Amino acid sequence: MHLTTDEIELWAQGLLGAARALHLAECSLCLAEADRERKVLLELAQLPRFAPSASFADRVMAQVKIRAPSGEFGA
Amino acid sequence: MVRDRALAEDLAQETFIKVLNGITSYKPEFKFSSWIFKIANNAAIDHIRRRSLDTLSLDGAPDADTPEAMKATAIQLDAKGETPLQELENRELGSAIERAIGRLRPEYRACILLRHVEGYSYEEIAAALALPLGTVKTYIHRARNELRGYLEDRRAETGGRDGP
Repeated sequence: MHLTTDEIELWAQGLLGAARALHLAECSLCLAEADRERKVLLELAQLPRFAPSASFADRVMAQVKIRAPSGEFGA
Repeated sequence: MVRDRALAEDLAQETFIKVLNGITSYKPEFKFSSWIFKIANNAAIDHIRRRSLDTLSLDGAPDADTPEAMKATAIQLDAKGETPLQELENRELGSAIERAIGRLRPEYRACILLRHVEGYSYEEIAAALALPLGTVKTYIHRARNELRGYLEDRRAETGGRDGP
């Protein structure tokens, strides 16, 4: 039986059980599909990640209204 | 989501201001991070829709559930009316995968980034975006298919110079 989409995703992440992964050795269709999936997942994993700039928290807190014990909003 | 670091930070700022000013509306039965993400996602999608950024999908409407419905609602890239200059600029902005993500529908984009960049489970994505689990799986599957198609087209065009 061919691998399902979920199984191919698991394989590309190295999480597919050996019994099902063996199917790839005997099915060129599934192997090609899995290889295409792996390439996309690799590219997604390499996307750059960004941290906010140093002043981010200050800019946020400058616009947060904090309720005083009296119920009034202060800066 | 928005393919622009400064804009992403502006939207993140807007998100955290909403979160902190609206903290009393948070319901503890939901994960706090999911609540924040939902607000952030809404801000990003609102922005994308306002600005009509590159949000075209090749697969038709997200809720199209038959091949006929998908075909009927699919939008051809040619319909975007991209000028040669815009096309050139688009090609020069970011990596092939970033440009490919930029072409996804916002709904697909949010799901694929949460799944494969942030490492959320399908269940967590469903909770964060208030979508049925099956819909999340469908969106991610379609998004990956679109990304694969786009990246393979790009590789064919560039003879493999545009990425792994």
